Amino acid sequence: MIEVRDLKVYYGDNVAVDGLSFEVEKGEVYGLIGPNGAGKTTTIKAIATLLEPTYGEILVDGISALHEPENVRGMLGYMPDFPPVYDDLRVDEFVELFASAYGATSEKRNTEVDRCLAATNLEDKRKVLCKTLSRGMKQRALLAKTLVHDPPVLLLDEPAANLDPKARIDLRNLLKHLAKDGKTILVSSHVLTELQDLCDSIGIMREGKMVINGNLQEVVERATLTKTILMELLHPFPQTHGFLIAHPSAHFSGEVDESATLIEFTFDGDNEEVANLLRALVELGAPVKSFHERKADVESLFLAVESGEQS
Amino acid sequence: MTINSSEGFPSLNPLIRKGIRERLRMKQIIAWGLLTLILTSFTYLTAYLQGSDGQWIYDEKSESWKKGEPSPVNGARKAFPWLLGVQGFILMFLGAGRMAGGTAEERETGLLDYQRMTPMRPHSKIIGYLFGLPAREYFMFALTLPFLIHAIVVGELSSGKVFHLYGVFLSCVLLYHLTAHVTGLIVSKPRAASWVSRMVVLGLYVFLPGLGQAGFSFLSFLTLLPTYFGLMSEELILVGQQNLNMWHQEMATFWTEVPFFETTLSPAFFTVLMQGLLLAGLFATAHRKWRNEALTAFSKPAGIGLFLLLQFLLIGSLWQLYGNGNASGLLGSAISGDKFDENLIQKTESGIVRATVHRTGMVVVSVQTILFTLSLGASVLILNVTCPTRHQYLKGKRRSAKLGLQDIPLWADEKPGWLMVLCLAVIMPFTHFALLTRAVDSGLYFEEFPGMGAYILPCVLFAACLTYIRAAREKWFAVGFWGFLGLLWITPLLACMVLAVGWEEEVFDVVFHLGSLSPPFAFFEIAGRPHDMSLDIHEDAFRQGALVGTFIACAIATWLSLGQFLRRRNWDKGEKNIAVSREP
Repeated sequence: MIEVRDLKVYYGDNVAVDGLSFEVEKGEVYGLIGPNGAGKTTTIKAIATLLEPTYGEILVDGISALHEPENVRGMLGYMPDFPPVYDDLRVDEFVELFASAYGATSEKRNTEVDRCLAATNLEDKRKVLCKTLSRGMKQRALLAKTLVHDPPVLLLDEPAANLDPKARIDLRNLLKHLAKDGKTILVSSHVLTELQDLCDSIGIMREGKMVINGNLQEVVERATLTKTILMELLHPFPQTHGFLIAHPSAHFSGEVDESATLIEFTFDGDNEEVANLLRALVELGAPVKSFHERKADVESLFLAVESGEQS
Repeated sequence: MTINSSEGFPSLNPLIRKGIRERLRMKQIIAWGLLTLILTSFTYLTAYLQGSDGQWIYDEKSESWKKGEPSPVNGARKAFPWLLGVQGFILMFLGAGRMAGGTAEERETGLLDYQRMTPMRPHSKIIGYLFGLPAREYFMFALTLPFLIHAIVVGELSSGKVFHLYGVFLSCVLLYHLTAHVTGLIVSKPRAASWVSRMVVLGLYVFLPGLGQAGFSFLSFLTLLPTYFGLMSEELILVGQQNLNMWHQEMATFWTEVPFFETTLSPAFFTVLMQGLLLAGLFATAHRKWRNEALTAFSKPAGIGLFLLLQFLLIGSLWQLYGNGNASGLLGSAISGDKFDENLIQKTESGIVRATVHRTGMVVVSVQTILFTLSLGASVLILNVTCPTRHQYLKGKRRSAKLGLQDIPLWADEKPGWLMVLCLAVIMPFTHFALLTRAVDSGLYFEEFPGMGAYILPCVLFAACLTYIRAAREKWFAVGFWGFLGLLWITPLLACMVLAVGWEEEVFDVVFHLGSLSPPFAFFEIAGRPHDMSLDIHEDAFRQGALVGTFIACAIATWLSLGQFLRRRNWDKGEKNIAVSREP
């Protein structure tokens, strides 16, 4: 649905985005992750036709965003990273403005406004002036405006940046719901945990370049070949330490908790080798109560990528 | 129905609706309505009461002053200009400020991006902004209309003329608002856009029309004044007064006829022509920017078209001045005092003509200086818009490579502006040669043939300036470019002023050489070369200054162009390397 090929955006002599390529399938939720200044907002703006790239191609549903921006815009719902709203409009007027600007008839407009306000839990704020809303509420009003023309593609730049935990959960549920309805969602964030349960695919950006890109699970597994293993013993068993230190694939610092029963170490090897390690420990007589791999998350992935880049 | 406020005007342009909702809620209607009524009624009634009071008349029979009968007609006629002033303040001052501020604010916050993404057509968006942002000001204006009706009825004013005047008034308002909107869309830094908009409105419609008094009549018609004085001066003669007072009489004669080529045009027609052209140009620019923000304000062919139009208006306005000494405005008034009748021109031996020729020679010196400065100013704006920065140039190169083209197309926005420079540098001599030849043929301004230098030198300087402007624009980004022009054009003038004030005549030679770095001053020196400038021992330095200025401009043009050529070659090499490295 979205195809970005060799995208480059220069601001004067500075390169904001450098040769970025990725694809987002129809109905997919794609998370664009990266530290501040990585080029996430620039990329989203270029897809939203608000910024002309220096080089490259952007296709939305096969239509060039560069050459036919007018045709692409109708398909997009864009929400920027901070919520500008018309301060002196009421929430319902704000949403209705865009309903009519997107060509909804006067009869349909009100239904659309009701639908979007309900979806964003803003029904009780509909008569309130936008300027009196909190940042989080403004973000919701903006999301309501973004949904008002029922676009097949949503471009959300840091949508949860100003939301409280409850609102974040609501937003996550809403986005999941929208994804189920077949909407293609490109969402950027640097709050990594919020993308974990939401995205089908991710791309990690750094200094304008795509460092890792692909299906979330595959990417996580690919990027974290070194497994972190947590082992709990029934009671302290000092031979375990020596065994792990001596094992060629295990990396154990020798540090344990006060009770000396919780051991964390990293292990270079596939699942079969992990099973062999566990068998060897049991044969050694270690009273293993639990033995499991700590699931790698997006945050650890991001940190792994960061440290990898630095090293 | 959930959205009550949309019920009354659901089919209205959404942006106008937005403007009305934002700025005309009940509280605002009451507050601003009261303010408008208080301000208008105070101004109107004060003028009305003062005007309708009977006038004191000296009775020669009784040798005493007697108060005449009260006259409501006079009151209304006196109050009319004040009412127009209040309306102008509301729509032109407050309204243009709102347009500039509103557009810039929406651009800065990103709200304009939302609008850009909606499928509304660009012209609907422009109209929506034009009438939506200043919705409150239009409401305030509407509240002043009952006073206008009172003035027409009681003052026995011709309703046709008043409607005509208000047609032009509203066209001026649209022009100012559209200028503010376009500036808000063009200026790259949104924070600066609001201030730049106001400066542009002031410059275009307050300062520039001042040049209308110096023979460039078309510039005056960017304002309401010509129509006002042309149409209303006679309408507003007070009852009992035989004629216009002297000031009104002069103003009326200034504007009644506009010399343009061999004919004269009515101020109303000329106003419609000028404002229509400008409105069309601004609308096209706004349309372009709404369509795609990345596009330049106008294309290269449009830039050349604008320059051609400007030259046409310049020649048309100055044609009669150069040919027979006819001019409108203050200049016309000044030279009409010693207008040269043909007999006088024939008496070249008498000595009186010498003085006259000197005085009128100064007219052509000043007008020629303004002509070139104005054209250079327009060229700076055109080249600033149409010459690509390094960023745009490289973008063009990459796009051309992608499309399999050898080079960037000749008239593309990303193409370097040398062709623009060439076109502008060719157009300008046509204007200059046409006007100068006419001035020489008329025998009014030159005692003898001024020499080919008078023809060629200003055009060489003009071309050199265009060349270095283009190179600087393509070499540096905005700050560097404007900084360079500011340093080169303004600093020498300021230094000359300090020198002239501090040391007066002692340093005139230095002043004439140093000042020539600034093109307006150099144009003045070039225009003054064929004339006796009464500078005694400094006359030679004055004449040399023209040559020095031209030489330095040529040197800067060569240096910058060569540097830019070499830089571009490096950029092209860099691009080729990138292309090679991309190949599998």
